[in-house]
Parts: sequence; C-alpha cells; structure tokens
Amino acid sequence: MNILKRSIVTITAAASAALTQAELLDLEKDELKFGFIKLTDCAPIVIAKEKGYFEDEGLQVEVIAQPNWKQLLDNVINGELDGAHMLSGQPIAATIGFGTKAHIVTPYTLDLNGNGITVSNDIWKQMQENDPELDTDTPPHPITADSLKPIVDEAKDEGKLLPMGMVFPVSTHNYEIRYWLAAAGIHPGMYTSTDIKGFTGGDIELSTTPPPQMPATLESGKNVAYCVGEPWNQQAVAKGIGVPVTTNYDIWKNNPEKVFGVTKKWADENPNTLIAVTKALIRAGKWLDETDDDGDLVNREEACTILSKKNYVGADYDVLKNSMTGFFYFQKSDKREMPDFNVFFKYHSTYPWYSDGVWFLTQMRRWGQITEPKTEEWYHETAKEVYLPEVYLAAAKHLLEEGYIAEEDVPWDTDGYKEPTSDFIDGITYDGKDPVGYLNSHEIGNKDTF
Amino acid sequence: MADKTTDEIKYRILRYLDITGFTVFDPIVRLCFGEEPKKQVESIAKFLIVPIIFVAICVGVWWKVAPEHKTKSGEVPTPDVVFESAVINDTFSKREKMKESDFLLVGSEREETLAEVEKAIVENDVLVVEYKAKLAKHEADYEAKLEEQLSPLQANLAKLKAKNKELAAELKAASAVEAEKFENGNGSKEGLLAALRAETEFKDASRIDEGIIKDKIDAIRSEKYKPMEEARLDLSAANNEAQFLSKRVDFLTRANRSMKVEVAKEKLEASLAKLDDATTAKAALSESKKVIRQEDSITRLEEQKYASAMTVYMQIKRSLFTVFIGFLVAAAIAIPVGVLCGLSKIAMACLTPIISIFKPVSPVVWLLIFQIVVGAFFPDPESHPFFLLMNKLPFIGSLGVNPALIFSACTVAMCAVWPALVNTALGVSSIDQDHINVARVLRLGFWDRLTKIIIPSALPLVFAGLRISLGVGWMVLIAAEALSSSDGLGKFVWDEYQNGSSFSFANILYACFVVGIIGFLLDRMMIILQRFVSFDGGETSL
Repeated sequence: MNILKRSIVTITAAASAALTQAELLDLEKDELKFGFIKLTDCAPIVIAKEKGYFEDEGLQVEVIAQPNWKQLLDNVINGELDGAHMLSGQPIAATIGFGTKAHIVTPYTLDLNGNGITVSNDIWKQMQENDPELDTDTPPHPITADSLKPIVDEAKDEGKLLPMGMVFPVSTHNYEIRYWLAAAGIHPGMYTSTDIKGFTGGDIELSTTPPPQMPATLESGKNVAYCVGEPWNQQAVAKGIGVPVTTNYDIWKNNPEKVFGVTKKWADENPNTLIAVTKALIRAGKWLDETDDDGDLVNREEACTILSKKNYVGADYDVLKNSMTGFFYFQKSDKREMPDFNVFFKYHSTYPWYSDGVWFLTQMRRWGQITEPKTEEWYHETAKEVYLPEVYLAAAKHLLEEGYIAEEDVPWDTDGYKEPTSDFIDGITYDGKDPVGYLNSHEIGNKDTF
Repeated sequence: MADKTTDEIKYRILRYLDITGFTVFDPIVRLCFGEEPKKQVESIAKFLIVPIIFVAICVGVWWKVAPEHKTKSGEVPTPDVVFESAVINDTFSKREKMKESDFLLVGSEREETLAEVEKAIVENDVLVVEYKAKLAKHEADYEAKLEEQLSPLQANLAKLKAKNKELAAELKAASAVEAEKFENGNGSKEGLLAALRAETEFKDASRIDEGIIKDKIDAIRSEKYKPMEEARLDLSAANNEAQFLSKRVDFLTRANRSMKVEVAKEKLEASLAKLDDATTAKAALSESKKVIRQEDSITRLEEQKYASAMTVYMQIKRSLFTVFIGFLVAAAIAIPVGVLCGLSKIAMACLTPIISIFKPVSPVVWLLIFQIVVGAFFPDPESHPFFLLMNKLPFIGSLGVNPALIFSACTVAMCAVWPALVNTALGVSSIDQDHINVARVLRLGFWDRLTKIIIPSALPLVFAGLRISLGVGWMVLIAAEALSSSDGLGKFVWDEYQNGSSFSFANILYACFVVGIIGFLLDRMMIILQRFVSFDGGETSL
C-alpha cells in the first residue's frame, strides 16, 4: 500500500508540476502504439486519433487491430503496444493473476453498456412458444431467461448441455450472460482450481469465442446463444441468423464495459504521457456523446463513417450505425430507441470508479475464478491498485483550464464509489462498499462467510 | 546476312521464353518470323486459344453461379465485384499516400493544395446532400413496398393465429370434457387420450402453418431493394470522401509537419524570451530546462514520419520480405545438411528420423512453438538492440520488423527446409558413378571434389528443391501471418474475415488472386534461376 501511495503522490506531483509550467505536458514518449479489438467501443481511441486530439497533446499515435484479447494483453505486457482497449475485467484479472499475470492499470473507462445477448432463430422460436407474449414483432422488454429455462432443462434431460459463447473468461460478457442466466435459475457453471473452463456444475456450456466469429458459430450451431459487443449482435440481425433478446443495459443499467489499459511499469515511466493520453481520450469521449438541443447525438454518424474504415472496425456503415446512433434492432421488424446503448461520456462514465472494479472482483469470486474467499479490504485494495482516478483528475484539470470540458463533467470530489444501485435484471442492490454482502445476496454462485 | 540476324533474334527470343518457362508463346514468335505458318497456327489454336476459352468459360461459370449461392454473409461475389474491391483497396492506399504527401508539404504548395481541397469539400458536400435526399426517397419507397407486400401476409397471419387459437381452445375444452367424465365415473381412457392427441397434433400443425407465413414474411424482409442499396453505397462513398477531405485539411494545417515545427519554434522563442527576463536562479533553471526540451521536440518533429495505415501494397511488400528471410534461412540450413546427408550414409541415417517426423508437422504448430520460443529472446522488443538496428536500416526499417515478423519467418523456414534438404541429399547421393571415378582418377581432394564435381552435378536437383521450398514457404506464410497477426497478406485476409462487411468476401477473393499471382511469379523466378545453374539445360520448366 505504501508503495502505491507513494507512486500516486509522485504522479500527482508530476501533474501539478506540469500544470504550473506550460499547457503542453512534458512528454516522456511521443510516438505511441495502441491496440484495439474490432468492436464499436474502441471508438474513443480511434476518434482521438482521427480528430487529432492525440496530436493536440503532441502525440503521434498508431492504432493497430489485434486478433484477440489474449494477444492484445500479451502485446501490452511485452511492450509491443504502449496501451490498449481492454475488457474491464482484464486489468483486474491480470493484476490478481487470473490468466496471464501482470500489473495493469487503467486511468480511463472507455464506455458503458454496448453488449447484447443473441440467441439462434431456433431457440428464439422455442422461447416464443414457452412465453406467448414474446410471439409478436415487438415483444415487451426486458426479456429474462425464464422462457429459456425449459429449453435448457429439456436439453439437459436428453443429456446435452446447450453450448453458448462469450468472448473471454474475464470479459464483461462472461459475467453478464452468467448473471442473466443465473437470474432465471440457470446455472452457468463454476470455475474451480482444476476446471479453468468454468463448466463445473453448469446447466449449459459457456465457452470462449472471438467476437468476429460469433455470428458464424451461431449459424453453424456451435453456439445456440452468445453475449458479445457491437456490431456482432446487429450483424446477426442483418444476416438473419439470430435474435438479440436483451442488452446489457437491461441486465445492469449503465454498466462499465471497456477500459484503456497500460502496464504499471509503463505508467510509472511515462506519467505525463499517460495524462496527455487521458486528456485526448476524455475529449474524444465528450465528442462522441455531444448532443444538440433536442438531445440527439450529433457526432455519431461521422464516428460510424470513421469506424467503418477497414483499418478500424471495418464493418458496414449501416450495421455500425444501427447501434451507435441511439437505436437497436432486436429483429428486422423491431427497431427500438436506445439512446444509452453506447455511453462514452455521460453520467461521469469515463471516470475510473473503484466500485466498478469491485463489482468485477465480486463476479470473479462468485463464479470461482478467485478460488479463495477474500476479505472486504482485499476488494477495495485490489480495485485501488488497478484504477487510477488521480491520473484522470489531473487530465481533467488541464482540460478544464483549457476550456474543453465543463466543471460538472467530472466528479471532482468523489471517493470513487458510485451510489448503491438496484438497476439489475434481478433487482438485487449493489453497494460497492459492501462486496461480501453483495456476493452473499445471490442464489447461485460462491458465498463467503468469515 | 539479314536472314542470319533475324534468325538470331528469333532464337534469342525463343531461348528467353524457354528460360522463363513461357514456351506456350513459342508458336506466336515462330509465326511472326514466318516459320511453318500452318503448323504454328495449329499449335496456337491448340495450346493457346483453347486454354483461353477454357479459362473464359470458368470465369463465365463463376459469374453465373456465384449470385445463385446465397450465404448468410451475402452473395458470393462475381468477378466484377472482386475487381471493384481491388479498386477500393487501391483507392485506400492512394488516400494514405495523399495524406502522407499532405503531411510533408511546405510553403506555398501547401497553401495551394489546401485551397484545392477546400474547393473539393464544397463540391462533395453538395453530393452528400443530393445522395441523402435520394436515399431518403428510396427508403420511403422501400418502406411503402414492404408495407404493401407484408400487410396482406400479416393480416393472414393474424387471422390464422386467431382461428387457430379458437380451435385450440375448442380442442382443449373437448379434452377437459373428456377428463371430467372421469369424475362422473363414465370416463374412457381412449377418449381422453384421443382428445389430448388431437390437441397436440393440432398445435403442431398450426405451428407449421403459421411458420410458413412467418418464413414468407422473413423472406420478404430480407430481400434486398437494389436502388436503396445503391443509394446507400453512394452516400457512404461520399461520406468517406468527406471524411478523407477533412482529414487532408488537418494534414495541411495543424497536423502538417512544417506547421507543427513552426508552432514549436514559436514556443521556443517565447521560452527564450522568458529566459532573458528571468531574474531568479530557479526561474532561469526551469526555463532553460524547458528550452532544451523544446529544442529536442523540434528536432524530433522535423524528422517525424507519417503514421500510415497498412495498405494492401505495404502488406505485399512485408509478406515478400518475410518469405525471403524465411527462405534464405531454410536454404542456408538445407543445402549444407543435405550435402552432408548425400555424402554420408551415417549422417543420412541419423537425420532420417528427424526429417520424417518433423516434415509432416503443420505450420500452425510451428508458429505457436516459435511464438513461445522466439518471444523469450525479446522480452522488451521496443528497446531490443536487434530491432533498433533493423528499424534503422533504409528499406527494411520502413517494414516495421517486429517479433511477429521474426516468428512468421521462422515458421516459413521450418516448413520450407524439408523439400530443399531432401532434394539436395538426393542430388548429392545420385551423382553419376563415372564422375566420382573421374575424381578418383584425378586424385582430387575433398574440397575440390565437393566444389568441382558434387555440387555442380547436384545443383539442378538442389534448385528444384529450393523451388518447391519457396512455394511451400509462400503458402505457409499466409497462414502464419493470419494466425500471428504479423502484418502482411495473411493478416489482410484475416482482418477482412473479421470485418464481416459487405465487401469482405470480395476482398478475400481479391487477396486470393494476389497471393496466387505472386506465388506464380515467385515460382517463375525460381525456374529462371534453376535454368541458369543447370549446365545441361535440362527439362526443368513446367
């Protein structure tokens, strides 16, 4: 803890020193390489490059697509990349040593929401039979997994576990689809020290599939359902191979999705560069969420044009546009307004909240990725090792002085914990300050008592 | 005399054709020189025209069959779509080039270009508005058309559903009645079972009936409305152009290198002025530190390069570089080891198990192994001296040598080594006994025997092996790049697969042709080399 505090002090000291000097930060490194996965929520990084926000900070940035999350993380750890678009769970898991071990930190949350759960046409038909209310062009939302349970049970009676897909063991998608299933009493399976695939005791088989391959696995029957980010749910609708039944907005309203991660070593060696990068990202996030007087998002179409370039996400403009401009197609006939499907700046979303980190830790414990019971202090300390609000605030302070953001855009005096919320699909309240109590409030999954 | 020169020219051309392996064109040359016209015309017809017609038929079949096969990812692209994707890739790389030149422009040239670009923006904006209106119209048309087609079906479906529901309720009531009979004591097993069966049968049947209409509705919904699709493509092209032009403006103004340097210089001057005014030691120190830093940043800015996105041409270049590295490594291992194996039966016996076990191993496995093994040598590639050196070299530096390239090249080498090795060994061990006897008679030393007898006579087979190796290497490389995401054609294909856009399929086919044509050219290159080293000019070409 002491070392940590000291490093925080040095970072803030460096920041305040820079403040008094000049508007351009004293960069330790000005040619950077960032990695990303082809998903719409890499937008802040791409926009910061394309709109010249990195250049305003004196940074020359290359943005490079990575084939999968593992390789992305490996490239950040081995120094091939300076930083990357990461799953929120990735820095945490790497830091506590689940999977590849390395101390990764994050000063910036890229976005909220943005995932969906898609089921195959066949499963959708069966769900409609189980719940006739779903058998219309515009079924009422949120759709729970209750109508899926009989299908799962039937398959299980036949000695078959339905195969489902998520993108990475420590991804938000994994926790979200597990949460959704468990909320309806379907056991998604536990990780144990010997079962690193997470199948133990499950009613289904949830395995890893890289996002771009999701639609193909659904079509071939390798998966009957998957949880993934955009554009891969809209792609399923566009190609007519599946039906998105719910989005993570319904599972947990305004949940944190991706972060910008760098290694601790890199952050310590390049404190000012990290602040400069965070500045550019904050501006990009604000640009993405800019609205006109009617509350319509004004820059999203341009963002889609940029993202549809083949060196970025590369999917069709129209597919990207579906979810990015505040709409979401649940079926071809079912287009709904979802203004908060992707949140890049609103609701203080880009601030690195400790409570977000704690939530992911509780899920890792709930599903057995963390094999030992942990004390409440451990949750808080681990979150503080990964999230760097001090860097965020230093960057925000510069931007405020330069006039790019407003006073109310940033939660200046927060202790890093969001207000308790019960905006979950099962209505259970989450209070970041009470991780163990939250863990014990769930039916399915590990519970800890001390 | 004149005859002699024309003959000479003729034979020279024929010889070139022979060396390069294009003997198919022989008859044309001979015909031009008036040699046995009838025979030449006949062989042109047989070996040139017929194949051309055959290929044309193949393309025709492709053109005809492709649209018939509808996949969920869209139709199989026809040749014209593939060609279009080649054009799109070309445009992409032209735009990158343009941005780069904008980034480097200075002085009045920059201003002139800026004016041009600004004019183009105005023109393009007009187009965007026009296309938007067009798209809106087509979208409205489509909606109307869809509504027109769907409403009767939807009405039918609703009617059918209502009717089925009614009937289902009746049947349910009937089974309830049957069940009630049990309460009264006059129930019959058969009656209840029959009623229940009728109920489930009806349910299944009505589900199928409803399903038919639902499928029809789905089919209509997924039908594409051509004018709207085209309008969309037009609009997105115009939007892309707008995006490109605004980026150009950026590169001509604030992101321009000379402009950036200018701004930095102004700042430097300001700092220098401040340094002059400094009164305290502390202020002077901090200002002078700033000056030094700013000077550094100016030197860096002056040499800054444009960070270009990977274009397909850059990827081709990098792939070729990687395959040659791998191939050279393979040759450097295969030839000496092959000679050793050919010379010594014991060496052959020692190596046979290794060769036979590792030869059939898939490149994918090798790649993963090298990724782990080679990765260990470069814990921090950014500052590793090898890469620093590589990236300073004139041509190679621009390719961005990184660990991914190294292990792709290693994989190529690993898979390409076997054909060359086996062929070399075979070439050496099957030397004519007469030659060896001659060497014995002449009492040549080992070295002389090796360089004067063994290698020259084994050379044709060595090169035949190398030719196969290069072919294998090229094939393996594409897979290795796709898997390791080392920039190159393999990554191009993989990225396209991941993009899943409407042009992805066409782009993959385009890459297929690019890879094929380059592979063909590499093979021809090896044939030429092979012909040059074969002292007997034997039959080595296709």
